[in-house]
Amino acid sequence: MQIEIHNLTKVYSEKRGLLPVSLEVEKGELIAVIGHNGAGKSTLLKMLASWLLPDSGEVLVDGINLANRLAVVRKVGFVPETPNLFDFFSVGYNLKIFARLFQVPFIRMEEIMKEFNLLPYRNNKIHVLSKGLRQRVSIGRALLADPPVLLFDEPTSGIDFDMTKEIYRLLKDFHASGKTIIFTSHRPEEIKTLATRIIVLHQGSLVFDGSPQTYFQSDLHEKLYRC
Amino acid sequence: MLIKNIITLTLNDLAIALKNKTIYLILFIPFFVFLSLKLVDSADTVFKKINVGLIQQETFAPVILQTIKAADKVFTIFPVANEEEGKRWLKEKKIDGLLLRSEKERNSLLLVVLKKESLLTLSIVESFSALQKAAEGNAVNWISDVRPLHAGEIQKQTLPTWILMLVLLVSFIIMPAQVAEEKEKKLLLALLQTPMREIEWLIAKLFLGMILILIAVLFLHLLGKFDPGNVLSYVAFIVVGSFCFSSYGILLGFLCRSQASARTLGVMFYLPHLLPSALSDFSQKLTSVAPFLPSYQFYEPIKSILLEDGSMANLSIEWIYLLLVGLVTFFFSYRLMKKRWLM
Repeated sequence: MQIEIHNLTKVYSEKRGLLPVSLEVEKGELIAVIGHNGAGKSTLLKMLASWLLPDSGEVLVDGINLANRLAVVRKVGFVPETPNLFDFFSVGYNLKIFARLFQVPFIRMEEIMKEFNLLPYRNNKIHVLSKGLRQRVSIGRALLADPPVLLFDEPTSGIDFDMTKEIYRLLKDFHASGKTIIFTSHRPEEIKTLATRIIVLHQGSLVFDGSPQTYFQSDLHEKLYRC
Repeated sequence: MLIKNIITLTLNDLAIALKNKTIYLILFIPFFVFLSLKLVDSADTVFKKINVGLIQQETFAPVILQTIKAADKVFTIFPVANEEEGKRWLKEKKIDGLLLRSEKERNSLLLVVLKKESLLTLSIVESFSALQKAAEGNAVNWISDVRPLHAGEIQKQTLPTWILMLVLLVSFIIMPAQVAEEKEKKLLLALLQTPMREIEWLIAKLFLGMILILIAVLFLHLLGKFDPGNVLSYVAFIVVGSFCFSSYGILLGFLCRSQASARTLGVMFYLPHLLPSALSDFSQKLTSVAPFLPSYQFYEPIKSILLEDGSMANLSIEWIYLLLVGLVTFFFSYRLMKKRWLM
């Protein structure tokens, strides 16, 4: 197993969050975590990315406890819903400073810019870019250290149709290259053909874990998403 | 890797300070202080009963002594054992002036005051003049000379207050906002996605605060051409003060979720640290309260070094106190960062 999640819990003061959740993820899976707002999707991903510390439970990545941040930091890349970049600096600067901290050669930064079509924007400040372009920089940054596990929190939120298609294409490419991908979405119809596995969270609890075919054939989807 | 990461993060912080115009503020404040010092005028307190120190064993002219003692609605006489004790009382604001026998003119007095160019000094001299007229008519002035306790012009006398203001401004207004901004924009979390250690980020932030403070103080000295007195002691206190208060400011930033709340909290700490220390020169009550504040433990040594030729050798307790406050606040910031406090 590449990722083992044991009784992971995070409860906020408003009694929202994530109730004990246990999961196992195999290498090369492409998992969509779906659910309504406040279901606990982002909380789960943020805990996997070490953005949030769990109240209880543990996560192992390749057998290493996530609490040992420095040992797993190169194994997990996280792309948050809102790109968190140094807005007043250029695309090149943003990638360069993280390349330095990841101790990867600058040639890797050039590769990333080429791969994500960011070369024309190398000297553009982040705050003048569209959300879709910022998201591409954010994904590029997450890939600098070439982590085997990639986490995407609502990767298509607030971006246009073309960019959404582009993001889905990227997810497929990463999956084809053997990476393990977990992403959240509140638009289950869109991920019907994308994910190899669907996890459904509802009010902090795991209510479904299986293939997309099983999920869409079950009445759970109808129950959760009926208007 | 520790040093390399710290340098990378410090340079990044300085680049941010340049981009968000903080560096201009750092240069503007000393410039504003310099201009204010150029325009500074005397201002002091309203008239009250004047406390005068008289050396017990000193032989003053009998007419002067009798007249001062008779004017008990104007003066309160405080007998002091010697000149040293008198000067100490003056520093502690127990007395407003110390009367010594003038060495220049027989039967005249030398008045030692805290600040020569002040209304209080003026009122003491005026009161003596009135008493003298009543006792002797238009004879030679009893007070032939007025000497301030601290040497140097008024610009230099107010310099410790300005230095304290600069240090606290960077530490309590700029640093908390800088830290909170990185938390609010989730930039700190992005940095924590790299192999950077928490302590490297904290040291880099500490360096940023210290560099900004050193730039501001140096710029002020270059503009005003102020003599720092004992340079080594002065630098030692500026460095330990910038360490202590930068660390303090970083901790305040960690206690806030957003820049706006960090600014509010910063002001709430800035004024209570600035005013009691800076105004302790004018109030005995504040002098008894202010020593509990780290700002006072920074202000008094700086004042002593700049105005009284003080040195590290006599101020080691204050230096260690500031170092300890810096280390304790640094430790708490580290704990909060480890806990991802309000991130």
